[in-house]
Amino acid sequence: MRLEDTLVYIVDDDDAVRDALSLLIESAGYAVEAFETAIAALAACQEKRPACIITDIRMPEMDGLEFQKKLAEERIGVPVIVITGHGDVPLAVRAMKAGAADFIEKPFTDDAILGSISTSLEPDRGKADQAVVERLDSLTPREREVLELLVFGHQNKVIAHRLDISPRTVEIHRARVMEKMKVRSLPELVRTAIQAGIAPQS
Amino acid sequence: MDDLNDGDDQPKSPVTRSALHEREARLRSILETAPDAIIVIDDRGIMESYSSAAERLFGFTAEEAIGQNVSILMPAPYRERHNGYLNQYLKTGERRIIGIGRVVVGRRKDGTTFPMELAVGEVMIEGRRLFTGFIRDLTERQMNESRMQELQAELLHMSRVSDVGQMASAIAHELNQPLTAILNYVQAVRRIVQRAGMSIPPKASEAMDKAVVQATRASAIVQHLRSFIRKGETERGVEDLNKVVSEATALGLVGAKETGISVRVELSAEPPIVFVDKVQIQQVVFNLVRNSIEAMSEAPPPRNLMVAVLIPESRDAEPIAEVSVTDSGPGLAPEIAQKLFQPFQTTKEKGMGLGLSICQSIIDAHSGRLSASPNGERGVTFRFSLPLLSQDETNAS
Repeated sequence: MRLEDTLVYIVDDDDAVRDALSLLIESAGYAVEAFETAIAALAACQEKRPACIITDIRMPEMDGLEFQKKLAEERIGVPVIVITGHGDVPLAVRAMKAGAADFIEKPFTDDAILGSISTSLEPDRGKADQAVVERLDSLTPREREVLELLVFGHQNKVIAHRLDISPRTVEIHRARVMEKMKVRSLPELVRTAIQAGIAPQS
Repeated sequence: MDDLNDGDDQPKSPVTRSALHEREARLRSILETAPDAIIVIDDRGIMESYSSAAERLFGFTAEEAIGQNVSILMPAPYRERHNGYLNQYLKTGERRIIGIGRVVVGRRKDGTTFPMELAVGEVMIEGRRLFTGFIRDLTERQMNESRMQELQAELLHMSRVSDVGQMASAIAHELNQPLTAILNYVQAVRRIVQRAGMSIPPKASEAMDKAVVQATRASAIVQHLRSFIRKGETERGVEDLNKVVSEATALGLVGAKETGISVRVELSAEPPIVFVDKVQIQQVVFNLVRNSIEAMSEAPPPRNLMVAVLIPESRDAEPIAEVSVTDSGPGLAPEIAQKLFQPFQTTKEKGMGLGLSICQSIIDAHSGRLSASPNGERGVTFRFSLPLLSQDETNAS
C-alpha cells in the first residue's frame, strides 16, 4: 500500500496539537484525518477504517481509554497509539492493558511518533523485539519480580511490602532494571515490558 | 459512696440520701450549663440523659428525646446503621468513634443537617454500660469558637501545601500541549520543504534545529518540575473511602452559609478500600461540596446536596469505587462545561479558577477519572472514580 493511501486518524481536543500533528504526519506522506472528540472519530471509523489511530488520553466527554474500550467492543481492530501529557505509570499500564500499540509522552519528536506509526503498521507487530527479549533475560530473578510488580502499577512502598525488602532496595533494583532495559522513564519501561509480553499480574 | 453501687430500693439513711441529692444536683447543673451538648445513651442506643445545650442544638426537648433512640439525631445512612455499629462494638470491641472523636453530620428536629464534632466516652455503672457523647456545633454560628478556627486553619494549610504541587502539576500539563504543537510544527516545516524538493538554507535549518532543542528544553524543565513535586508528595495509605468521604463532607459543610441546604450522604455497604493520599482526596471532595453549596446559594429551593460512595457493578477487570456529589443548583452553561477542568477558567469573582483543574490532577494522579454531567431536572453531578485495592493488596499493605 502506498503511504498516501495509508489513513491515520488523530484525536486530540487541543486545536494546536491536533493541527501541528496533522501537518507533521501529512508531511511524512500519510493521509490524515483529525477529530476533536473520540465520539466523532468513532463515528468516522464506521465509514472509513484508518490504518492506525493516534489519540490523546485526557479529553472531555469520552477519554482515550474509553475510546479504546469502545473500539474493542465494536471490534474495530485498528492499532491505537496513545499520546499523553500526563505520563504516569498507572496510566501507561491501563492504556497498554487496553491494547494500545504504543504509549508516547508529550511532547515528542517527529522520529518518535513516525517510528511508532510505522511499527504499528507492521504486520508482525506484537512479536517481541529480539533485543528486548535479550535484555529481559539479563535480569536477575529479583529484578524480574520488581519489574513485574512495576508493570502492575504498584508503588515502591507496596512492592517493598510484597517482596519483604526495604523501599530503598526496591529503588536500587528499579534503577538497575531501567539501566539494563535501556529505558529512560518508568512509563517507557512499562510499555517496553508489556510489549515484550510481560503481562500485568492482576 | 458505697450507696451508689448498691442500687436496691432500701430506704437510704438521711445523710447518704442528701449526698446523693447533692451529687445529682451537681450533675444536673453541669448538664444545664455545659456549652457542649451532652447526651448519655445505654447499650441499645436509647437516650437516658440529654442536656440543655443538646436541646438548643438539635431542637428536640429533653422530654421528646429521652427514651428515644439516639439515631433520630443522625441523617441517613448513619441513622439506619447506628444500632449495627453499637452491636458491632459490643460484640467485637471495634471502635468507630468511642475514644477517638470525629467530625460528623448531625440532624436537627426539622430535618436540616449540620457539621459537629463528636467525642464519646464509655462508662460501666452498676454493671450497665453507658456511653456519653460530647457534641460541639461546627456551624457558622459558632465561627468564633477556637476549635472551629483551628479546624479551618488546618484544612487551609493542608490545601495550600497540596495546592502548590497540584497547581504546578496542572500548569505543567497545560504547558505540554503548546510545547508539543511547537515541536511538531517546526519538524513538519522541514519535512514539507524537503518533500517539495527544495533545499533548506543552512541557516534556516540550523534555526529550526535550535527551535526544537529549545522546545525540548522547556519541556524538560516542566518534567523536572513535576518529578520534583512528586517527590514532595504526601504519603499514600490504605483507606476506607467511606470514611474519607464522610469526613471531608462534614468539613465541607463547616462554615457553609445556612441557606437551608439539606444534605444526604449515601455510603457503600461494603467499605471501598483504596490506596490514596487521604488529604488530597479529601481536598477534592471538600472542593466539590463547597462548589455545590456555592452554586445553590443563589438558586431557588429546594437545595439538595447528595454525596454518595458506591462500588459500581464492574464491567471489566478493574474494580473501581465511585464518589458523586450532586446538587440542585442552576447547572452548567454549555460554554462553561467545555472548559470546566482547564486552569484559570472561572465563573467566580474571587478565585483563580484552579480548583477543578487541581481536583482533576489529583484524581488523575490516583489513576481515576473526574467528570461532570448535568442532572435530569436540575443541577450538576460531579463524579470521580478510584481503583479499588484487591483483597490481596489490602492484605499486603
